Amino acid sequence: MTTASSDTVLDEVTDSAPREAPPTTAAGGEARRERWVAIGYLLPALVVFGLFVFWPLAKSILLSVQGTDILGNPSGFVGGAHYTRLFGDPDFLQVLWVTFAFTILTVIPSIAIALLIALLLQSRIRGVRFFRTAFALPFAFSVATASVIFGVLFNPASGVLNGILSHLGVDKVQWLTNPDLALWSVSGATVWMQIGYNLLVLSAGLGALPEDVLEAARLDGASGLRLQRSIIMPLLTPQLFFLVVVGTIHSLQSFGQIKILTVGGPEDRTTTLVYSIYEQAFANNNSNYGYASAQAMVLLVIVLIITALQFGVLERKVFYR
Amino acid sequence: MKTTTSSPSRPRRLRYAVPAVALSASLALAACGSDSGSGDGGGGDGGSGGAPAADVLDKATGVTTVSFWHAMDGTNAEALDKLVADFNAANTGKIEVKSTYAGKYDDVITKYKAAIQSKSTPDVIQIYDIGSRFMIDAKQTIPMQAFIDRDKLDVSDLQPNIAGYYSIDDKLNSMPFNTSMPVLYYNKTLFKEAGLDPENPPQDLAAIRAAAEKLSKKGGGPADYGFGAAIYGWLLEQFIATDGKEYCDQGNGRDGKATKVLFDQPEAVEVVKWWQTMVKDGLAANTGRDTKAAQAAFKSGQAAITLESTGQLGGFSKAAKEGGWELGAANYPHIKAGTEGGPIIGGASLWINSANHEDVQQEAAWRFVKFAADKKSQAEWHIGTGYFPISKGALNEPADVEYRKANPLFDVAVKQLEGTKLSKATQGCLLGVMPQARKASEDGLEAALNGTDAQEAMTKAAESLSGQISQYNSSVE
Repeated sequence: MTTASSDTVLDEVTDSAPREAPPTTAAGGEARRERWVAIGYLLPALVVFGLFVFWPLAKSILLSVQGTDILGNPSGFVGGAHYTRLFGDPDFLQVLWVTFAFTILTVIPSIAIALLIALLLQSRIRGVRFFRTAFALPFAFSVATASVIFGVLFNPASGVLNGILSHLGVDKVQWLTNPDLALWSVSGATVWMQIGYNLLVLSAGLGALPEDVLEAARLDGASGLRLQRSIIMPLLTPQLFFLVVVGTIHSLQSFGQIKILTVGGPEDRTTTLVYSIYEQAFANNNSNYGYASAQAMVLLVIVLIITALQFGVLERKVFYR
Repeated sequence: MKTTTSSPSRPRRLRYAVPAVALSASLALAACGSDSGSGDGGGGDGGSGGAPAADVLDKATGVTTVSFWHAMDGTNAEALDKLVADFNAANTGKIEVKSTYAGKYDDVITKYKAAIQSKSTPDVIQIYDIGSRFMIDAKQTIPMQAFIDRDKLDVSDLQPNIAGYYSIDDKLNSMPFNTSMPVLYYNKTLFKEAGLDPENPPQDLAAIRAAAEKLSKKGGGPADYGFGAAIYGWLLEQFIATDGKEYCDQGNGRDGKATKVLFDQPEAVEVVKWWQTMVKDGLAANTGRDTKAAQAAFKSGQAAITLESTGQLGGFSKAAKEGGWELGAANYPHIKAGTEGGPIIGGASLWINSANHEDVQQEAAWRFVKFAADKKSQAEWHIGTGYFPISKGALNEPADVEYRKANPLFDVAVKQLEGTKLSKATQGCLLGVMPQARKASEDGLEAALNGTDAQEAMTKAAESLSGQISQYNSSVE
């Protein structure tokens, strides 16, 4: 069956070829045929992407240069007004700063801690399987569930954390309402949420290290820290690089924990770019889709730039086998 | 292909997969915006039209279905479903109300906006007080007054202070349904322990501070904090009203469209400054914006005085019973003793949509709204939920009298409402961007509690709204 149908394709292509182009060689026909097949395979994905990515992208660009009336309808072309307003707004600079700080405070610790745990879990102790499952478990929690639980832990009056502190004779800490502390608290909760996934990826990476390379290193006398630093780390760079890229994007998109734990406060000190977009578009009876779309465009550009930088700079250090 | 993203050992695939993830992710929100942003502005025939003929329902055949979106959950939803069931039973074969929980107040209004775009608004919708100006400007609804005038209905049974909020130019736009008021709650047991008179709660800012000094751990008192309330813009609105001042210009938005908010006026700043100093001196807890956190602090006895809605009476009574302490309630405090003014009612009202709705549906909707506002329904509603009855007669219903005998603290709210003189200040501010204004005032109050100069914080918050207000006003002209 398959051969028959591909023959038909080939026939069609060769039939129509002379009319459009000078006679092609057999190799040229083959290439053409492959191109059509490729397009056929790509089409379903393209349709889905077009519908859910490119079409909304085009709409967002359009919305970002239009005003919005009270019902959320576009109310006419305003040019770059939203963008001018954005970049002239000191609050927006704070949003960018918070977004940046949140990303740093979540990506680096969540990978570092996961790496440490993953290395410890390499040791051959009893019950290591149990620990591996236990440490990876945060991955199974939804952001909403985990955030609600952290909300209970952080509660200034009845929270577990302040309960422990008061037993130690330390004053109550306003985890989520102190403007200088809230971002750290939310970041801490986020790190906990991300560790599970990072641990899974790193453990898998460690488990797949080539035994021959390790053995060679050991024969050369490398052991302990030396082995970790010079052999294991370089071999693990693909996984680490992957986690940095995916973790950064994940952090830039974080929403649930901020909505549930701090609602962007206190004093907007936990309002990240995504949360700011949500506030403009949907919260407090807002429907400033135009302004929100302009912010979404900024987010898109930021994600693209950071991702490009990571691929341009960081990836050079990655060791691919 | 799916596995490529999780298999970092294949760099070439990853190179393309990750930017694609980034792209789609950052656009997810933008996509939501564009969906709701498309389409035209809905029907324009609503708002100004008169009421349908009174007999339209009698001429209709079959059952007329009335869709009803509300924001009640938990026990409140149960009480509401019972009201709907009673109405349906009384109108079998003629009208059937189908009620749907559409989420919290904010969600209801968001969904309503989307429904306007798709011309699929419900016949009746419950919208919170601060969405009233928006509802009028959206031009989708028919004022209650049209029905009241047609039926020559006597509305003197409506509590004037409640009807006042929803009236513009003496015209009732929507039917108040569930209303609550703010009161001062205090812990009588802690008052006794601190040597204060438990029957004489503080009624102005200076008195609260004096009591808090004796109640707080800082002053050797029995509680962690004398005072603790949420950073909730509603409370600030109440302080301004109890002082007889207006929250926004143009006579609280009742003489014309308000052009600016006034929560940076001296009286409001005085409240903020008082609150700020209380926190700084360790007399008041700052539990942030989450009202639940402030409630928890009061329930657990960590704060001895709080400001909350009458809707919390049930929860606080239960906590007091379980915790073995005695609960007190009093009028909402004034900034200074002896000022004329009172609290504004809060809650929500029912609106009848007319744009893209048949006459017969509007009429059926009106019958339901009339039923919901009736004194018998309101007494039942009051008992089932703790919301304040909008009907004066409801308070004389035997079941209601019984209820208040069992819950004497509720009389505080009744007396407070009846003792409040209706003025533009106590009618409350009518502003299209009122939800945003409330949030901005919270921004200001929060900044002040965390150390920013009170005047500076409130001025900045008030000014942050000027763009939104003028944008709103120009878009509804």
